[in-house]
Amino acid sequence: MAERWQSEPWTKDMWWSGKTTRRRFLGLSATAAGALGATMLVPAPWREAFGQAKPYKIGVLQPLTGAAAAGGKTALVGSQLAADRINKSGGINGRPIELVIADYESKPDVGRRKAEKLVVEDKVDVGEGGYLSNVCLACMPVFEEQETVFMIGVCLDTTITTSKCSRYVFRPFDYAPSQAVAFAPYLVKKLGKKWHIVYLDYAWGQSTRDAYVEQIKKQGGDVVGTTGIPLGTADMTAFISKITGSFDGLFAIMFGANAVTFTNQAYDLGLTKKAKYAGDGAVAESTHLTALGQKVEGFTGVNRYIPVLTKPLDTPYHKKFFEESKILLKQMDPSGPDPDRYVQSNFEAMNFLKLGIQKSGFKGRAAGDAEFKKESLKLIEALEGMEVKEGDDFPQGDKTLRREDHQAFLRQFIFDIHNNKHRLLEVIPREKTVVAPACTFPKA
Amino acid sequence: MSAARARGEGPSAAYWTGFVVVVGALALSPLVLPEFWQRFATEILIWGLLAMSSDILIGYTGMVSFGHSAFFGLGMYGAAAALLMLRPPNLWLALAAGLVAAAVVAVFVAYFSTRLRDIYFSITTLVFSQIFYVIIFTWTEVTGGENGLTFRQPPLALPGLFSIPFTRNGLHWFVLAVVTVSYLLLRRVTQSPFGMVLQSIRENEPRTRAIGYHVERYKIVAVMLSGLFAGLAGALYAVQNKFAAPDFVLFLVSGETVIFNVMGGMGTLVGPVAGAAFFLLMKEVFSRVFYEYYLIPVGIIFTLMVIFLPQGLLGFLRRRLNQ
Repeated sequence: MAERWQSEPWTKDMWWSGKTTRRRFLGLSATAAGALGATMLVPAPWREAFGQAKPYKIGVLQPLTGAAAAGGKTALVGSQLAADRINKSGGINGRPIELVIADYESKPDVGRRKAEKLVVEDKVDVGEGGYLSNVCLACMPVFEEQETVFMIGVCLDTTITTSKCSRYVFRPFDYAPSQAVAFAPYLVKKLGKKWHIVYLDYAWGQSTRDAYVEQIKKQGGDVVGTTGIPLGTADMTAFISKITGSFDGLFAIMFGANAVTFTNQAYDLGLTKKAKYAGDGAVAESTHLTALGQKVEGFTGVNRYIPVLTKPLDTPYHKKFFEESKILLKQMDPSGPDPDRYVQSNFEAMNFLKLGIQKSGFKGRAAGDAEFKKESLKLIEALEGMEVKEGDDFPQGDKTLRREDHQAFLRQFIFDIHNNKHRLLEVIPREKTVVAPACTFPKA
Repeated sequence: MSAARARGEGPSAAYWTGFVVVVGALALSPLVLPEFWQRFATEILIWGLLAMSSDILIGYTGMVSFGHSAFFGLGMYGAAAALLMLRPPNLWLALAAGLVAAAVVAVFVAYFSTRLRDIYFSITTLVFSQIFYVIIFTWTEVTGGENGLTFRQPPLALPGLFSIPFTRNGLHWFVLAVVTVSYLLLRRVTQSPFGMVLQSIRENEPRTRAIGYHVERYKIVAVMLSGLFAGLAGALYAVQNKFAAPDFVLFLVSGETVIFNVMGGMGTLVGPVAGAAFFLLMKEVFSRVFYEYYLIPVGIIFTLMVIFLPQGLLGFLRRRLNQ
């Protein structure tokens, strides 16, 4: 019954009739091979829109496997969203962009190798991405040696734009000293004078702790104690139970699964009921809120991006970014998480590159290998000191990419968790997040 | 092999012809390979030296070490310390500092771990590597913590004679020379009476003890020797890549080193080098085709090799390579 349609007259031309001649077979094979070949030769959708225009190749480094895979995949969404938008709106200087994605397996040695592959073999015009600070630091010399601009998408370590800064590297988002300057007045004046800081005991946690200790004291508050917890500790109760004494607030410098573990265990031991609970925004990223449930209720944090659509983030550009990100994130994670700061900073990093390329007329490798260094320097000069306004390309807000250290300054959002959602409490304008530059670029 | 030695037979002309051909091909490789693969070839040689060093324990003494990441990492940090502290940076002092750091750690690990056998030895070495990892990871003021240390590459220099910065090819040839000399030294060691005792321990430890050898001492020396060459590999890695990171001290590096041995052929010295090359190339190629799923085909191939090629890629040449 099911096969009856095959004997209908209209199916004669499409259904196998049993009369396959050699000529017919060869003809069909040639057609199929031709179609396949044509598909391989014209693989990217931008070819249709841009004809033969040579694309700008952007090498994107992210950890898609290994310990940081989840964050890396989320970060990649931001780069892809920006690339899609740029190509749909006509590319840059009439040329499309093509992302060349490299997975560095969450390892610095692989990261360095992949960075080298991108610039030497794939001949990318610029680099973007990062995520793990140690990998960013390992890759920076490669971009410097190959005279290629690297726009960092996530790496937070302070030294990237201070003691280890590079002329070829830009960080278009905030860092710990800037966040501490923004958040410390609120902590001391509105939450309490005496603080105990709990931090992940490694480079990022330690440098962030130092920044907050300095700023809390500067605001007239006091840090009565600090507790370091090793990264990846599954049972933190031994550390938490040692946090005693009198303090008004507990400040956590944590991220990812460590933040979930700490918040859960500190709540169970009554610590977050005894004192006010605050910390780095990474403690309460939107992706953690389900796992934290009621235990993170009332947490106060600071972040460059929070997924709320209330004033001043109720702009059409932010709504558009939020909705488009959610669609891409849902393809990756069926639960459809809200975008986080990793999506936002990679999205905006790509747009900084777009503006820099437009402003400088950067031709990249299309200018020839001999001219590439000059082209990169043109791009660097265009990016240095660049001021951008809140809009479709920068839904987070206005930004300045400082000339002296290639560090961006942007507004910060102080929020709390209310009914398991972010609630915006205060916006700190970017002028109040500025710290003095501490970078001397190495001589070329 | 021992019978061949007893008969006074040295390595055959075929062996030395093969040796010259392989070293010659490796020396010429940077002249013909594209830029990325030139550097990759140098890196493979360094990982190969690490694998070769662990073969002394795994293949010749029958002790599976999961602590080689500590020797490799400490060699790397030792070299990094010398490169950061000395002005101008000196290649030979960096290598020496790497060797000293690895040797100190090796003495410590060897003293405690060689009292144990089999899985207990493996676990002890793993625990030691993790201890060093945690120290390096958290002692940020000295080691740079998670971010590690970055520094400049030292020039190739002989005091009073010349000082030239490394070119890509120059570094490859330098690393090749170090790896080749290390191979010849380790080969000599494995064929010496000391090496025979190590192989005797691998074959039958109680009997070796019964005929009067102080097995623990031999094991300690074997761990130290192995650790020293692993440290040399770490120092070379630091010189090539200009950074040191705690990730290299993590037990995962030790795990990969064991995989290099299994894939290449234990007890051959060159087999683990071939295993390192095969494994790293496979990962690189598959990661370009299968992206984040590349570990699936890598895992399948590794499993198939363990089932159908248990002696590894060069295991079938074991007798000839040890002649």
